[in-house]
Amino acid sequence: MEPSTVHAAQARELFDRRIAPVEGVAADADAVAAACHAMAARFHRGGKLIVFGSGGPTTDAQHVAVEFVHPVIVGKRALPAISLTTDAATVTGVAEEVGVAEVFAHQIRHLAEPVDIALGISADGRCRGVLRGLATAHDMGLLTVALCGGDGGSVAAAPAVDHVIVARSADPRIVKEIHVTVYHVLWELVHVFLEQPGALTPEVV
Amino acid sequence: MTRQRATDPMASLYPFLYADRGDTDAVLTEVQRSTVDKIREITELRGHVVAREAERLAACAADMARAFACGGRLFAFGNGGSATDAQDLASLFLHPGRGARPLPAFGLTSDVAVLTALSNDVGFDVVYARQIAAFARRNDIAVGLSTSGNSENLLRGFDEARRRGLLTVGIAGADGGRMASSASIDHLFVVPSTSVHRIQEAQTTVYHVLWELTVSALPSDPALGGTAPGGGAHGLGSGEQDGMGGGGNDNGEALTEE
Repeated sequence: MEPSTVHAAQARELFDRRIAPVEGVAADADAVAAACHAMAARFHRGGKLIVFGSGGPTTDAQHVAVEFVHPVIVGKRALPAISLTTDAATVTGVAEEVGVAEVFAHQIRHLAEPVDIALGISADGRCRGVLRGLATAHDMGLLTVALCGGDGGSVAAAPAVDHVIVARSADPRIVKEIHVTVYHVLWELVHVFLEQPGALTPEVV
Repeated sequence: MTRQRATDPMASLYPFLYADRGDTDAVLTEVQRSTVDKIREITELRGHVVAREAERLAACAADMARAFACGGRLFAFGNGGSATDAQDLASLFLHPGRGARPLPAFGLTSDVAVLTALSNDVGFDVVYARQIAAFARRNDIAVGLSTSGNSENLLRGFDEARRRGLLTVGIAGADGGRMASSASIDHLFVVPSTSVHRIQEAQTTVYHVLWELTVSALPSDPALGGTAPGGGAHGLGSGEQDGMGGGGNDNGEALTEE
C-alpha cells in the first residue's frame, strides 16, 4: 500500500523540537569546562581516553575515539583514545559468558591504567554496561566522565562519576545530537588546556 | 611543535590563553563562553538547514517510505566520523526501539574484513561501490554522508547505486563539494558551514529527521503494536502534533519485505 503523505511542516516541527534542549546545555557550560580541564590533565600525564556506550552510543564512542586520534583540524596533535565497542568478539564473548552489563567493565579491568579517562555515554542514563564500566574505572583510579540524557538516570547519580553532562530530552535522537556537540566541544577545549599547561593546576590532576 | 601565534586560529579564538596568566578560573570562564558560543552556532545552523531544506526533506522521506513499502532496504556509508553516522543511521532504521517499526538497513562500514580486503586488493575508492554491487537491487536506498562532499569512494558508491536503480540520498557539508555536481544523487542535503564539527552535528539532525518522517509515513508494524517514532510513551511522536500528517497509518496492514 501507499505510504501516507509527508509534509514540510513536519520537518520544521522536528527541527523546532531541538532548539530548547540544545540551548539547555549552555547552562551546563561550567560542567563541560571542568570536565575538559580534568581530561586535559590526564592526557598531560600520559593517560588515554576510553569510550563506551550501548546501542546508538556505540557509534558515538567510535566517533569520539577517531576525533581524538585523528583530529579533523590539521595540525592538532593526536591523542590516545579507544572505543570499547568495536571488538565484536570480546563484546559478544563477555556478554554471553558473564553478561551484557560486564562488557565494558571487563575490558577496562584489562586494558585501562589508573591515569586513564573513562567516558561512558548513555542516552537515557540507565545503561547497565556504562554504569558498571564507570564504577570499575573509578575503583581503578581513572577519571570518570559521563554523557547522559533524559533525567540523567542512575549513571548521572552514581558516586563513581566525577563529571557528568546531561542532555535534557526524553528523545534519544535529540540527546544524541546534543552529545555530538558536547564531545566536539570536549575535544576542542581539551586541546585548549593542553596548549596552556600553566592552566593544568595540580588540584585537577 | 612550534606555533605561529599571530596566525594560530586557537590564539584568536582564545586570546586569554596566550596572555601567560596562570589564572585557571579565568581560563575556565573563557572556555565556558566558548561552549555557549558553539551551542548558539549549531542552533543557528540547524535553522538555516531547515529553512532551506524542509520541502526537500519531506520529498526525500516520501521517496524513502515508498522504497521501503516496495521491499527496499537501506545502505549507509561514510568515512571517519561519517562512518559512525552511517552505522548509527543503519541501526536507527533496523533497531529504533520503543515500539517504532524496524526497517531493513545495512551499514557498509561495519565489516572490517570486507573493508580491509577491498582496500588491500583493489583500493579504498571501491569499498562502497563493490558492496553496493554485491548487495543492492532496485527499490533499495543508498545514503552517503560526507562533511566535504569530496570522498571518491562515496561518489563511486553513488554511481554504482544509480546504475542499479537505487534511490540515492547524499548528506554533505560546506558547499557540497563534488557531491553537489554528481548526477548520481537524487536528494542532496548540504549543511552550509565551514566547521566540520558543526556540519556533523547538523547532519545528525538531518538523518534523524529523515528517519522520523520516513517511519511516520509507513504503516506501523502490527507485530510490535508499533507507534510513531519519537518515543511512544514519552509523548514525542510527531503523529500527536496538529497538522503533522499522521504518525503512521493505522490500517495495520503488514508490508511484504521480499
